[in-house]
Amino acid sequence: MKSSRTYLLLVVAFLVLSFGLAADLQPQFRELRWSRADGDVFAVLLGDSRKLFANEFYTKADAYYHSGFYPTIFDNNTAFKTAHMAEDTGAVHSNNHGEEESFMGPPIDWLEKFGRNFFPDRHTHLDEGGPADDLSGSDNVREILPWLKLSTDLDPQNVQNYTVTAYWLRQRMHKTDEAYQVLLEGLHANPGSCDILFELGRLYAESYHDTNRAENVWAAAARNWKPIKGDDDTAAANNFIYEKIATQLGEAERTADHRQSAIDWFEKAQSVSRTPAALQAQIDDLKRKLAGAAESAPPPGLKSQ
Amino acid sequence: MKNIIAVAGVVIKELYRRKDFYVLFIVTILICLVMASVNIFHDDKIVRYLKELCLLLVWISSLVIAVTTTARQIPAERENRTLLPLLAKPLTRTQLVLGKFLGCWVACGLTLLCFYLFFGLLAGTREHMWPVLNYFQAIMLHWFMLGIVVALTLLGSLVFAAPSSNSTICFVIIGGILLVGRHLDHVALTLPEPTRAISQAIYFAIPHLEFFDTRDLIVHNWPLIHWEFWGLAIVYALAYIGAFLTGACLVFRRKAVN
Amino acid sequence: MGTILKTDKLRVEYRSREMRQATKIALAGLDLEVHAGEVFGFLGPNGAGKTTTMNVLLGFVQPTSGVASLFGIDVRQPIARQRIGYLPELTYYYKFLTAEELLRFYAKIFGLTRSETDQRIDQLMKLVELEHARKRPIRSYSKGMQQRVGLAQALINNPDLLVLDEPTSGLDPVGRMKVREIIQRLKDEGKTVFFSSHELGEVETVCDRVAIINQGELKAIGRVNEIKKPHHANLEQAFLEIIGFQNSSTQPAP
Repeated sequence: MKSSRTYLLLVVAFLVLSFGLAADLQPQFRELRWSRADGDVFAVLLGDSRKLFANEFYTKADAYYHSGFYPTIFDNNTAFKTAHMAEDTGAVHSNNHGEEESFMGPPIDWLEKFGRNFFPDRHTHLDEGGPADDLSGSDNVREILPWLKLSTDLDPQNVQNYTVTAYWLRQRMHKTDEAYQVLLEGLHANPGSCDILFELGRLYAESYHDTNRAENVWAAAARNWKPIKGDDDTAAANNFIYEKIATQLGEAERTADHRQSAIDWFEKAQSVSRTPAALQAQIDDLKRKLAGAAESAPPPGLKSQ
Repeated sequence: MKNIIAVAGVVIKELYRRKDFYVLFIVTILICLVMASVNIFHDDKIVRYLKELCLLLVWISSLVIAVTTTARQIPAERENRTLLPLLAKPLTRTQLVLGKFLGCWVACGLTLLCFYLFFGLLAGTREHMWPVLNYFQAIMLHWFMLGIVVALTLLGSLVFAAPSSNSTICFVIIGGILLVGRHLDHVALTLPEPTRAISQAIYFAIPHLEFFDTRDLIVHNWPLIHWEFWGLAIVYALAYIGAFLTGACLVFRRKAVN
Repeated sequence: MGTILKTDKLRVEYRSREMRQATKIALAGLDLEVHAGEVFGFLGPNGAGKTTTMNVLLGFVQPTSGVASLFGIDVRQPIARQRIGYLPELTYYYKFLTAEELLRFYAKIFGLTRSETDQRIDQLMKLVELEHARKRPIRSYSKGMQQRVGLAQALINNPDLLVLDEPTSGLDPVGRMKVREIIQRLKDEGKTVFFSSHELGEVETVCDRVAIINQGELKAIGRVNEIKKPHHANLEQAFLEIIGFQNSSTQPAP
């Protein structure tokens, strides 16, 4: 009886010690930079490695976009370097090369030839109806959304997740409010991101038909854009988004009949474009119109960066 | 045949009286239901991620059940010494091996039926599609694949004494085949001789379990596999089942039971 | 009286897995004959070769040389086991089955019809006094009950020859008595019983004839009285003398 009371007292003493230490250490622990305590469940469980998983799920979403027809690490994936689901939104510049249909190459033996009957063997896109024969357009593209959401949750700093998700929500699913919410979340996680602001502008312009707001958002995106030096993919992608922002702003100015300002924006777009000739035609056209109306004063336009 | 069926009957009874199956089945249901309740942009028609998750759990569960149930059959008979009164009866060792195989295989089939029934209900209620023939093809291929796994594990249980080492080795082999089996011929081409020849020999010798993994076709609503190829895959599975069982009978026939 | 069990120059050698160790001779030319209707005790110290002999008779181990037959049929033929019942030592039957299910399973292997099986199970449950527990899973049985289930499974086919390996090992006195009673009843029914045991008192009580082996060789065979007579002692002392055991405590000091 005596000994059991001793054990009980010991247990209580240890519990008091634990609670006391916890109360004392907890505030200090929270201040530690490496602490995961304030993160979400993924951050607590996975730490920074969650970004690797995020990338996997992003790729998974693209595999779903192809209804499972997708290269593995053993296949030639040059035609799948840029996710097609992102490329088709117009949000990113394609880095894909090669033939999309034949990433597996011809079968090299009878066993491989036979095995190809048991997995998806045709290049399809969900927004075109997936593997079904009817390619009339489909809202099956919704199937990529869970993976994009998961990828976003795991890596909130990946802005492409937000823009791609918002595009498909808005374009194919007609869920404008959800798309708007996704972009706001993206902006919250990546303040001032010009990719997200560009997509938000498109949403205002195309879905809410609020061109003023759209122009303001694009202008903010243009202001936030910073050039990246170099010839790598990151620099190219950075230039591509600026080209799109400036082009949109140019189009908006042209629609508002602010020709000089439109020319300015198109020239800015041209300065970073991989295909400057395509924009030159528009600039020439605007300049001609401007010269034709030389006597009239140029309209006040938006301030470019 | 009646002896084989009698042995198989005991194996089936063992499976449904143990907790493994129920635990895995309930875990699968719970995970799927929790995932189904997740709100993804207020769209309740999104289903493929759920189908994929459910099928993944079904595959993992079925492999776990097949390997662990089969791996312990003969070692447990030896350890508990029930093998002695059994073989003291007019039952040949071949009949015992075949009975154990049939029991494990049928038990796996019954398990698969339960799992796929749940899968079908889950997918059907959300998709409002009931591709019965596609499911039939998938279940049969899955079941015959499990037949290969059961036969392989049974052979392993006669070669390796401990069920745990046998299970581990079988899981590694099966996982390896499912993940890289399809690509081994391409990998072999990049290797120098004699590794290339060895890799190619392994490629042709291993049972290509990945043929039977039609999850992507089911998840993404692809059309039916041509029946001709489906039938050939079944024959392919039967050939490997036969080979492994023959090996198991040969090993067991020479083994002293004491 | 017909011969039911016969071994002729039976030899079993176990090759050691370790290269350096010599081959172990488990049986060295054993000649044995058991006649119909007798209770035959098979005695010997641990490692003498009793279990090996039974393993050969039941087809578990292939003899290196020599022949063993049951009912005149080579033991390697499964049909030789159609008319025998076997109770191994220390067996843990399928825990997830009930006694009734276990017996039904073994009955199927013998090809008994459903009605024969039902009838036989009723009889056996009564014989081994497990009627009250026949629908309970075997995992809930005591050791003595498991041994009695074992005896019931050995009798499911109403065998003409019963092979019992240490049938009373690990049982309490009551359990032993019950097993002895069952053997006695089987003897009364005219069954042949071939059993190994270390309980010499028990052997003395129930056996018609005994054989004593040591180091794989047959040392003595005959009726219990014939074995005891030359040694002018009880069976235990006769057994010890036959196997050449010398008790150091009885040796005179040098």
